[in-house]
Amino acid sequence: MELDPLTLGALVGVTTIVVLFSGISVAIGLILVSIGFLALFDFNHWQAIAWLPETLFAELNDFALLSIPMFILMGAAVASTRAGSDLYEALERWLTRVPGGLVVSNLGACAIFSALSGSSPATCAAIGKMGIPEMRKRGYPPEVAAGSIAAGGTLGILIPPSVTMIVYGIATETSIGRLFLAGALPGLLLVVLFMAWAIFDTWRRGAGEVLTPTVYSWGQKFASLIRVIPFLLVILGVLFALYGGVATPSETAAVGALLVLLFAVAIYRLWRVRDLWVVLRDSTKESVMILLIIGAAGLFSHMLSSLFITQTVAAWIGELQVNRWVLMGAINLFLLVAGFFLPPVAVILMAAPVLLPIVLAAGFDPYWFAAVLTINMEIGLITPPVGLNLYVINGIAPDIRLQTILRGSLPFVACMVLAIIILCVFPEIATWLPEAVMGPVIQ
Amino acid sequence: TTLRLSHQWSTSDVRHKVAQIVADYVEQANVDLKIQIYPTHSLFKAKEQWQPVSRGQLDMTVFPLAYAGGVHPEFNLTLMPGLVKSHDHAARLDNSEFMKEIKKIAEDDGVMVLVDGYLAGGFAGKDKCITSPADVQGLTTRAAGKAFEQMLAAAGASIASMASSEIYNAMQTGVLQAVNTSSSSFVSYRIYEQAKCFTPAGEYALWFMYQPLLMSKKSFERLNAAQQKALLEGAKKAEAFYLEEAKKEDAEATEVFKKNGVEIANMTKEQFLAWRELAKQSSYKEFVKAVPDGQRLLDLALAVD
Amino acid sequence: MIERFIRFADRLSLASGVLAAAMIAVSILVVCEMIVVRYLLDRSTIWQTEFVTYMMLSATLVGMPYVQRLRGHVNVDLLPHYLGGRARAVLATAVLLLSLGVAGLFAVYGYGFWHEAWAGDWKSDTVWGVRLWLPYAAVPIGFALYSLQLLADLLGLLAGRSRPFDLPDKPLGEPSGGPAGQ
Ligand code: NA
Ligand code: NA
Repeated sequence: MELDPLTLGALVGVTTIVVLFSGISVAIGLILVSIGFLALFDFNHWQAIAWLPETLFAELNDFALLSIPMFILMGAAVASTRAGSDLYEALERWLTRVPGGLVVSNLGACAIFSALSGSSPATCAAIGKMGIPEMRKRGYPPEVAAGSIAAGGTLGILIPPSVTMIVYGIATETSIGRLFLAGALPGLLLVVLFMAWAIFDTWRRGAGEVLTPTVYSWGQKFASLIRVIPFLLVILGVLFALYGGVATPSETAAVGALLVLLFAVAIYRLWRVRDLWVVLRDSTKESVMILLIIGAAGLFSHMLSSLFITQTVAAWIGELQVNRWVLMGAINLFLLVAGFFLPPVAVILMAAPVLLPIVLAAGFDPYWFAAVLTINMEIGLITPPVGLNLYVINGIAPDIRLQTILRGSLPFVACMVLAIIILCVFPEIATWLPEAVMGPVIQ
Repeated sequence: TTLRLSHQWSTSDVRHKVAQIVADYVEQANVDLKIQIYPTHSLFKAKEQWQPVSRGQLDMTVFPLAYAGGVHPEFNLTLMPGLVKSHDHAARLDNSEFMKEIKKIAEDDGVMVLVDGYLAGGFAGKDKCITSPADVQGLTTRAAGKAFEQMLAAAGASIASMASSEIYNAMQTGVLQAVNTSSSSFVSYRIYEQAKCFTPAGEYALWFMYQPLLMSKKSFERLNAAQQKALLEGAKKAEAFYLEEAKKEDAEATEVFKKNGVEIANMTKEQFLAWRELAKQSSYKEFVKAVPDGQRLLDLALAVD
Repeated sequence: MIERFIRFADRLSLASGVLAAAMIAVSILVVCEMIVVRYLLDRSTIWQTEFVTYMMLSATLVGMPYVQRLRGHVNVDLLPHYLGGRARAVLATAVLLLSLGVAGLFAVYGYGFWHEAWAGDWKSDTVWGVRLWLPYAAVPIGFALYSLQLLADLLGLLAGRSRPFDLPDKPLGEPSGGPAGQ
């Protein structure tokens, strides 16, 4: 059959949506669509299919992918200990006088935990396990408790290390070390916006009398700090390995995973084989799921490229000659909608190779774009139907209804949109740190 | 008829331009033949192109032949230290008995060479110049090609394997102290920002890699006589361009490094011979050990003057 | 009979999960060893990157059946949510059959790919020069095991042992647990 690539591209788009909505796993769905279109439209038809297992092998044959399970494992190891609650307790003792102090502490704990974990669901689970029950016990409404953790958890992929930044780096051949740095300040910006909203929200509700703050002595305050030190050490250790000439970014992930495991064993006594297995099982489960989507998305883009769809669509958009900010707005809208339905890794792998040349041609910075794209993906994590963080919250607090979680996270979604706008006005927030640490950008 | 040509480089790379010349030529020849180029490994990953082209799943590729050295170990001779002495020597090698043998192995696996071509490379040091084997003693080094890694290891360097995209970062943070790769990679990865000293492919150069434009025999045989003729003529034109550009690449790399304040060191004849002696003890020896017909092929290559 | 097959597939998937997890654990140690060797001892690191890459690749492929058993492969169950009992069951059967088709196809073609590497004694183009049939084996083995687990799930569904898409008969709008729940 002969169809022009644009029509074919539209057909692939519609088919992919229908197939993925059927409830088939995202990875197998993407492979299925690739098989179908290659069989029908590639000039080699079935011979092109015979090639796919080798293409899958080649997609997964990449050392950089190592960092994904490692950064997930780092998060899972900390999440399995009391470390998460230690972290937010320490913050809470210091922030007790701030209105909404407990929410602010949980958000802060999410942010610090994000520096230890590359994945959002892990961050969400680690802080939420103790944070959500505690907030509800102290009289915060369920939507605030659930919404703040769902949103705070999304910081896991913006504040370095980040699994999605690694995937973006692989897909676009940009520097992973630089991408990590590009996410750091936008991550802080989001934390500040989230906290500002939490404080305002508590004050607005006039919740002061219900939420009497517990009073802590200075001794208690400092005692709590000591238990946070291991985290800071791991974060420093990882930063040193990463930027101090010890290891490449992919290798650093393994150092971080080992450090965290050692701390978990030494400080939190995670030495029972059963406990270690749970950590390993959970991270294997999430890693395999993500890596398989990476492989499948690779086959999908191989199919798009084979049928000359990627190239034609990119050229077509390039010829539209629209204003660059209209273009960026449209791209954001596309990413947002894609994020509603697909996990971040799948969106990045399918969209980045098509979008990046367009974005670069329009004069945007690839590292700035990575930050913007990641915030879009964060929104997708807390919106149905596929919002990984929603599943996690549901697992922690099964009695909170989805609508309630959504109502709670909506203001945080607004914060994220605001952050994207701020980033558009001040791109330096993303680009300054990588340039300060690593020098001007290499293209 | 549309043919698909895949390669791993950007559209500004000389190897893309070589492919483009062939594509433009056959298009203008009006023989109902079009070559669709897929740059930046958008169709197949860099090292994954041999099998597709040998089975006819891919029609054409610009491909460093040594990438297929795991399938046909004889191909490792096309990235062997000190075997090629200069670009003109490389051009003489292309038509030698030795290359006939290599091309026969390729043809038996369904692949024909359309455009011959070698690219050269050199060394970059983070803190010092690398010209003789003693200079790499104790340095952590990354080399393009396993024969070069074997030679550098024999010189007392420690070998760190990593993707070429990680080189810049690794040089910057000090994970790597020396790099051995092609002139064009040095420029495209902007290694001049991280190097103190550059040893270009000058009068004496060690690093040459055979990177021909290959075509699937199946695809070629499917074409009619006029199309085949146009393709071969285009290839001839591209080959002349390739040789000229390959020489220019080295000069341009030197220029870029110089402009960025990097010291330039040239390899002397004695140093070159010292490296080659070392290579004979290491990479050549390993090659002969691993390939049944290795000694004969090596001798054939060394016989080309 | 069906019961026994499901139990068999279940155990096999658990074993593959343990194997995948072990490969990830070993990789941590190997990478740290590599950093020590290179950074502290200044010695060559020849095999580690390649070894770890193949470990990750194999962990992914061999881990597939285990993740399927845990219902850890993320999906978009939008359509199933809107469908009623019978239609949902038909869709679930179709989805499992299609997945089985994909996995079977990859197992078969993957075997051919493995066999070629084995017969041709292909090696990787590095100094270490690992025999490629070793890592290639992960493709046919992984997909064959995955097929078995999918078949067990299909039989379980047809025999009424599990619900279509594991969805409870809850009203629309509730997350169904499942993916990435930790
Ligand atoms: Na993170
Ligand atoms: Na979503």
